[in-house]
Amino acid sequence: MEQKLNLRERLLSRWARWSVENWGKALLIALVITVILGFGLARLRMEMTFYSMLPDRSNQVKDLKEITENFSYASGILVVVDGRSIEDPKIAEKTVRDTIDELTLEYSKDTYDSYISSVIGKVDLSIFKEHALMLTKIDDLERLKRSYKDLNLVPLLKHINNDFEAEYSGNSDKLEDEEAEAVSRFKGLGELLKLIEDAAEGKDISDTKLDEVLDSYMFGDPYIMSNDNRMGLMIVQPTFNMNDINMLQPGVDTIEMVAKKAASDRGINAGLTGIMAVGRDEMVTSGQGLVISSILALILILGLLVLAFRMFSVPLISGIPLVTGILWTLGLSGLIINRLNIMTAMYIVALLGLGIDYAIHLLTGYIQERDGGLDFKSAVETSLIKSGAGIITGALTTAAAFFTLTIAKTGIIKELGVVAGLGIISELAAMIIIIPPLLAYREHRLIKSGKIDHRIFSKVKIKSDAASGIGKLLVKAPFSIAIVMLLIVIFLSFKAGDVGIQDNILKMEAKGLESVHLNDAMVKEFGMAPDGLLIISSNINEVRDLTDKIDKLSSVRSVESPADYYVSDKEYVERGDFLGEFTHELDGNVLAADVNSEGLLDELYRLETNLIEMGDMAYLGNMDRLVNTLGEITGIDNDGVKIKDTSFDRLFTLLEDNPAAGSFPAIEALQSSVYKKMNQKIRTMASRGKITPDMLPSNIRDSLISKDGKSFLISISPTQNPWEGEYRDIFTSQVNSVTDKGTGMILVADQLNIMAQQDGRSASILALIVVFLILLVDFKNIKLTVLTMLPLLGSFITLFGIMALTGIKFDFINIIVVPLLIGIGIDDAVHINHRYLKEGKGKMALVISRTGTALLLTTLTTVFGFASFIPSVMRAMRSTGIVLSLAMAIAFLFSVLFHPAVLIIVTEKFGWNIKPWNDKNDK
Amino acid sequence: MNKIFIAALLLFAFCIGSLSAQTAQEIVDRADEAFQGDRVYSISRMTVFKSGEAQPVQEIESYTMENAGKTYSLSIYTAPRRMKGTANLMIEDDLWIRFGSTGRTRKMSSSAKKNSAGGSDFSYADMGDGGQGLADNYTPKLVGEESVEGENCYKIELISQHADAPYEKMVVYITKDTYRYIKIEYFESNANIKSMKFYDYKTVNGTDYPFRYIMENHIKPSSTEVIVDVFEIDSSKVQDRFFTTGYLESIR
Repeated sequence: MEQKLNLRERLLSRWARWSVENWGKALLIALVITVILGFGLARLRMEMTFYSMLPDRSNQVKDLKEITENFSYASGILVVVDGRSIEDPKIAEKTVRDTIDELTLEYSKDTYDSYISSVIGKVDLSIFKEHALMLTKIDDLERLKRSYKDLNLVPLLKHINNDFEAEYSGNSDKLEDEEAEAVSRFKGLGELLKLIEDAAEGKDISDTKLDEVLDSYMFGDPYIMSNDNRMGLMIVQPTFNMNDINMLQPGVDTIEMVAKKAASDRGINAGLTGIMAVGRDEMVTSGQGLVISSILALILILGLLVLAFRMFSVPLISGIPLVTGILWTLGLSGLIINRLNIMTAMYIVALLGLGIDYAIHLLTGYIQERDGGLDFKSAVETSLIKSGAGIITGALTTAAAFFTLTIAKTGIIKELGVVAGLGIISELAAMIIIIPPLLAYREHRLIKSGKIDHRIFSKVKIKSDAASGIGKLLVKAPFSIAIVMLLIVIFLSFKAGDVGIQDNILKMEAKGLESVHLNDAMVKEFGMAPDGLLIISSNINEVRDLTDKIDKLSSVRSVESPADYYVSDKEYVERGDFLGEFTHELDGNVLAADVNSEGLLDELYRLETNLIEMGDMAYLGNMDRLVNTLGEITGIDNDGVKIKDTSFDRLFTLLEDNPAAGSFPAIEALQSSVYKKMNQKIRTMASRGKITPDMLPSNIRDSLISKDGKSFLISISPTQNPWEGEYRDIFTSQVNSVTDKGTGMILVADQLNIMAQQDGRSASILALIVVFLILLVDFKNIKLTVLTMLPLLGSFITLFGIMALTGIKFDFINIIVVPLLIGIGIDDAVHINHRYLKEGKGKMALVISRTGTALLLTTLTTVFGFASFIPSVMRAMRSTGIVLSLAMAIAFLFSVLFHPAVLIIVTEKFGWNIKPWNDKNDK
Repeated sequence: MNKIFIAALLLFAFCIGSLSAQTAQEIVDRADEAFQGDRVYSISRMTVFKSGEAQPVQEIESYTMENAGKTYSLSIYTAPRRMKGTANLMIEDDLWIRFGSTGRTRKMSSSAKKNSAGGSDFSYADMGDGGQGLADNYTPKLVGEESVEGENCYKIELISQHADAPYEKMVVYITKDTYRYIKIEYFESNANIKSMKFYDYKTVNGTDYPFRYIMENHIKPSSTEVIVDVFEIDSSKVQDRFFTTGYLESIR
C-alpha cells in the first residue's frame, strides 16, 4: 500500500486491517447493529393490500376512506349465484332463487356474527308497499292515478294499454335502460293474464296466488337476477372493511365457503366479487407470489455462486452479509415508516439480487489479489480499496436514484424511495463490515485445520477468458460495435414512444381470479358493474340535486341514494293533497257487477298488439331477455312467427265463443278479488304519513346513510366496466361535469397511475441530475461523466422500444424500472471507467478481462433477483419481473459493449482526455 | 341508411360561423358541397355489434328529399324477417313509426329522436335530422390538423349554441386534399360518447360518397356498421307521396 490513498481508501484500508485482525469483534459489531435494528423489525407491519398503496392526500382518497369507515355500502361483498350449468332455464332460475333464499337464512345465523352484519337476498319492498305513492314524483303520480283510478278488469286493462302506448312506443333507449324492471313487470302481467285465463276456464284462484301475482305486477321481482335469469346476486354486509387487514381474508373466505357449499349442494356455482373479494384475492396471490419468488431468487443466486465459485463457503460468506443487510433494511424501514407495502416488499426480494453484487465484486477482487501473490491481509485490504471505490460509487448512485423518489407525492413511491435507498446503503455497509471478518474467520479455520489452499474462486479464469475475448473484440472493432448498437437504438427509438400504460388495474391482478372474472360477468350478465363512483354529502337537498343530474348522464346506468326516499315538506303537502284526492276518487269507484266480455276482448286484443310491438322494439334493441319474456306472453319467436298458443289465444277463443254478459262468473269473481285486493294495496301505498329513516329498507338505511345519520351516500353505477381505461375517462368526465365530489376505487386507482407517472418523471429527472453530480464528483471529468450516461440513454430507448414492440405496458408497479435503471444500470459503466482509468489507454481488453466476469455475475444475480417475480401469479409482479430483468440485461450489454467501444473511440482514436481534472499525469 | 351520412353532413351545411371562424366555415362548406344532392334513394345493410357479436343484419330501403326547406325521410326495413315492413317516417322534428308486425302507426314524441334508432348506435337525429334548426345550434372552429386513417385532415370543432342541440360538441375530421369527411366525434357532458368513421368513398354523379360507415359507441360495448349497396341522387324512385302518414300506413 505504497501509493497515496484518499480519505475513502484510507478508511477502507483501516477497516480491512482491523476487521481481519479482530474478526470476532467485527462480527460482534455487526450483531449489535442487527439487534438494535431488530427493534425496528419488530415494529414493521406487512400491508399487502391494494388499499395500503392508495395516495393519501387527495380529497377523493379522504372521502373514500370516510365512506369505507362510515358506510357499509363500500364494504359490501357481492355473492353471485350462477345457475348457468343447468341447461333448463326455468330449473336454473328456480335453483338460483332457492339458493339465494337458503344463503340468506344461513348467513343470518349467529355463527357468522363475527363476520357478517347483514345480508340482502331480496330487495326489501316494505316501504314501497306502504309509501310508494308518497315517494313518487307528481308527474308519475298523475300517470299512476290514470292507471289505477278504476280497478275493474276492463278499465284496468284499458289503462295498462294507454300507459304502454304513452310510455314505451318507440322508446328503445328507455326499454334498454329499464330492461330488468320491464321484464319483471311483463312477467307480472303475464301471470295476471294466466289468472284471467284460469278464471275463464272456471279454475279457482287462491287468495295467496292472487296476492303474489299482484305484488309481482305492481312491485316487480325482489330478487336481483341476471338478464337471462340464470344468475342471481345477493349482497353480504361484513362487519369489517378494507382497513381490517386481519379480518379480510378469514371473513371473505368464510362467506365464500358458505356460498360455494350451498351452491354446490344444488349442482350450481357461486362466487364472490366486489372490491373486498378482489382485495382478499390480491392479498392471497401477492403473498404467495412473494414467498415463491423469494425462495426462487435465493436458490438461483446461491446456485449461480456455487456454479461460478465451485465452493460452498462463498455462498455463506456472501449470503450472511446479504441476509444481514436485508434485516438491517427491514429494521430501518420499521423504525422510519413502520410498514411494507406490495411494492416495497417486492423490492426486498429484488434486494437479494442487488446486494449480492457487492459481495461478488469484493470476493472477485480478493481472489484476484491472492492469485496475484498477495498475502491474506493485504489481499483483503487491497480488494476493499480497489473494488470499494467502484462499489461505493455504484451504491451511492443507486441509493441516490432511490432516495430521489422521496420527493414523490404518492405515499407508496415515497416509501419505496426510503426502503430502496436504505436497502442499498444497508447492503453496502453489511458487505463491507462483514465480508472481511468472515474471510478472516475462514482463513483462521483453514490454518487451524492445516489446509493451505486459499483458492475459493477456481473457475474465474475460464470466465475471464470469455471476457477477455470480448475485450479483444472491442479493441479490434470498436466502431462496428458502437455503430451496430447505435443502429439498434435508432431503430427502437421510433417505437419507444408507443409504449403503453396499463389503465385497467384489474389486469394487474392474478390471471383467472374468480372475483375479477365475476366482476366482468356482472357487467355482461347483470348490466351493472360492481365498482362505480360514490359521492358523500351531508346535505340531503344536494344529494337529491346531484342524483337527478347524474342519473341523466349517458354513461350512467343508475344512481342509488337516500334521495329516492326523501320527501321535502313542500312535496309532502303537494303529494299529500294529490293522494287525498286520489283516495277520494277511489272511494267513488265501485266494483262492477259483471265484466263486459266485448270490452275485455277489445282490451286483450289491444294488449297483445302492444306487447308484440314492444317485442319488436326489444328485438331491434337486441334486448334478448325482454324479447324472450314478451315472446312467452305473445307466443312469437325471434323471427316474429307465431309458434304457440298463449293465454291471449285461449281467452280470445273463449270470449269470442261466449260474448254474452254473465258467461264467465269466475272472471267476474276474479274481478271482484282483483278489485278488492288492488284497492287495498293502492290505499296502503297511498299512505300520507311521514317517512322516517327507520322505515327505510335496511339495505338503504344501513348502506347509504352514515352510522351517525349525518351524511348520505350516492352510488353511481356505470353502463360498462369502469376499470377499462377509455370508458372510465368518459364515465368520470361526465360525472365531473356535474360534480367534482365523486370518488371510488376506480378514481383513486386512476390517481395512483397519474401520480406514479408524474412522480416517476420528476424523480427520474432528479435522479439523473444527482447521478450525474455523483459521477462528476467521482470522475472529476465532464466528458467521462457524459459518456457514462450515454449507455443509460441507449438502455432506456432500447427497453421502451422492446416494450412497445412486445406490447408490455407500464403500470404503477413496474414503473419502478425507471429509477432502478438509472441507479443500477449505470454501475457497470462506472466499474469499467474506474478500471480503465487505472489501467490506461490501450488496455481496454485487460479492463474487460478483469471486470467482465464480475460484471456478468453481478448482472446475472440482479436479473435472477428480478426474474424471480416472473413466476408470480399476479400479473403486475410478473410484468415487473420481465421489465426489470430485461432492463438489467440491456444495461449490461450497453455498459460492456457500447460504452467501452465509445471509450476506445473517443480516447484512443479522437484523443479525448477523460482523466480527472486534478490529475496532472496525462498518461 | 344514407340518411345517417347525409344528416351528419347537412348539419354542417347550415352552420353559420362567426367571422373569426371563417376558415373553418369554408372548409365545412367545401366538404358539404359533395352532399348537396336531393332525392336520395339508397339500399343499405346495418349490423349492430354487441360486445363484438354481430346481431341480425337489418336491411333498409331509404328515401330522402328536401322540400321547401324541410327534410323528409322514409326508411323501410326489408330484413330481418321480423322487422320486414316496419318503417320510420321523419319530417323535420316529427317522427312516426309503422310496425310491420301489427300494421299500426305511432307518432313518437320529439324527444324520441335522441333515442337509439333500431337498436343501433345511431340516434334518429343522427339518421335523419338535418334541418336548419339543428345546424343553427353549432359554431365551427378550426382547431388544428391531424392524421386520421393515414389521411391528413382538418380538425374542426362544432360547438353547440343551444342547450337543446343533440350534442354539446362535435369534432369533425375533413381531408385536406379531397375535402372528405373521415371521422366525426360526438360529445356529451364533456366526454366523447361515440365516433363515426367513413370508408369506401365512391363517385356518384361526379361527387364522392362513403359507402361504408361505422358508429362506435364509447359508453356501451357496441358499434354499428352500415354498408350502402345502392345509392342514387336525384332519383326518380323518390316521390313526394312517400312522405305522408297515409303512405306509411299503406306499406306492406
